[in-house]
Amino acid sequence: MLIRVEGLTYTYAAGTPLERAALRGVSLDIRAGERVGILGPTGSGKSTLVQHVAGLLKPTAGRVWLGDVVAHARTRAARARRRQVGLAFQYPEDQTFERTVFREVAFGPRNLGLDEAEVLARVRWALGMVGLDTTRVMGRVPFTLSGGELRRVALAGVLAMRPEVLILDEPTAGLDPRGRRELLAQVRTWQEETGMTLLLVSHDLAELPRVVERAVVLAGGGVVADGPVRQVLSDGEALRVAGLDVPPTVALLRALRTAGWSVRTDRLLPEEAAAEIAEARDILHSIADDGGGHP
Amino acid sequence: MPTNGHRRGAASTSSHATQANSQCRGATTASHHAVPPFIEIRDLEHVYPLEDGGEVAALRGVDLTIQRGEFVALVGANGSGKTTLARHLNGLLLPTAGSVRVEGLLTSEPDNLWAVRERVGMVFQNPDNQLVASTVEEDVAFGPENQALPVDEIRRRVDWALDVVGLLDYRTHPPHMLSGGQKQLVAIAGALATQPACIVFDEPTSMLDPLGRRRVRGTIRRLNAREAATVLLITQSMEEAALADRVLVLHAGRVVMDGPPAEVLGGDEQGKRLRALGLDLPVAVEIADRLRGLGLALPPGLLTVEALAGALC
Repeated sequence: MLIRVEGLTYTYAAGTPLERAALRGVSLDIRAGERVGILGPTGSGKSTLVQHVAGLLKPTAGRVWLGDVVAHARTRAARARRRQVGLAFQYPEDQTFERTVFREVAFGPRNLGLDEAEVLARVRWALGMVGLDTTRVMGRVPFTLSGGELRRVALAGVLAMRPEVLILDEPTAGLDPRGRRELLAQVRTWQEETGMTLLLVSHDLAELPRVVERAVVLAGGGVVADGPVRQVLSDGEALRVAGLDVPPTVALLRALRTAGWSVRTDRLLPEEAAAEIAEARDILHSIADDGGGHP
Repeated sequence: MPTNGHRRGAASTSSHATQANSQCRGATTASHHAVPPFIEIRDLEHVYPLEDGGEVAALRGVDLTIQRGEFVALVGANGSGKTTLARHLNGLLLPTAGSVRVEGLLTSEPDNLWAVRERVGMVFQNPDNQLVASTVEEDVAFGPENQALPVDEIRRRVDWALDVVGLLDYRTHPPHMLSGGQKQLVAIAGALATQPACIVFDEPTSMLDPLGRRRVRGTIRRLNAREAATVLLITQSMEEAALADRVLVLHAGRVVMDGPPAEVLGGDEQGKRLRALGLDLPVAVEIADRLRGLGLALPPGLLTVEALAGALC
């Protein structure tokens, strides 16, 4: 389904002294199967935006469409569409409430009206997807798990719904580097297998380019950049406006460019940056060998 | 709110503290060492009971000495024991076996608890769980008020602490209206205002955006460099660990690596070891390793993008 955000404005606590516009006229289209990263500082409206896509908030002005229905509408068609949108919140404590991990992850599939055999199969599959040892954790009380494990359980609960649109709000905060890498690699693999749409809210500029193809930068409730991830994350000016830094790979390439090296600055991954530097270095050397000198 | 309880709880034991303090000074003078290390951990073990009656060892024999004024980073995978170790440093947890001493004071001695907590402050991951008052300055004053200091002294300390973290202009703001990074700075100011010799930071930047991270990291460095605070910084970010004077790597409840950042994070061999433990290298180190693999000669220990760019140019 196409997700269409049209002139979306949302004001918290409207009409009170605490009134604050979280989104101001945001418009964007997200095609079925796209992998989109959403970046921006605290308070830029990232979480508010994805909660609208999940139909959890009603716009103050503007609309969010899920295919041909309005996301927050109280119709049967809209409810069916919302079930196809899975949102894993930033703080897993906010969405775990069952007595055991099994019941927690089974909650969504049971609501879909699946039979118990299918529910069990989905729970096992989803726990495996997030890297948890199924037999070890199924009977545990969620609150006795570590923060990283709890986060994985919350994510498994969303995956078990097999949504068409998966929204992850800071899914890797609090995970160690291997946990981060593995979780995102698994999400990526699953996205490729199913062709689902992926919205990833993240500050992790090192991992983002491995997962998404498009990046949207929010600042002050508006979109300040939207384009291919390579282009957006190497655009120092747009990121600076949003109070973000370029990834360290880009910072290095920019420093070399300033020093006269002929390198592209849009190589986001360490292996790409290293290849770019080595190539530029070889060219410098061959010029030097021809008597062209070293910078 | 646990922090609230802890801060109030700490105050109620203050009458014992003076006693404990003087007793311990006596004990220290009697020993052969004139100045004990600031923190001395010997063969520390910590076992948590499980609900099924079993148990799990989070720390399995940690030996560690930290001197006054050191800036130490502690890294390790989830479940390696980092937070458990941090909580031993100010007596939030007590050893199952072994010992933890802060300036010679055993944390396992109930009478020492107040004196230990006066020396070691804690800042946690989630700033929302640490703020207790309705304005920034009241929040920062909470600790010194519990120490029953004179009003002038409380005011002086609040001003100083807010100045150190750069939030003087926000003193009358309600903390919940601040950004995550600013809230974390308020929590740091609150810990500072009791003037502990050491502050333990447990992943203070993992829930912050890049701007918040930059501010909090800058403040931690300043605390160590200008205010001479001893700092223990627990982090998942190797870039952040590289800011310290010394990096400890914890794995399965034991310290498995311990040295300056250039040694622990900067070398080929160590890099392989860190990866095997589920950790990363700073991006600059990773790129430098790849460049060496592509035939470039680069010196070891290039931890930052600036250092790597400098070596290339």
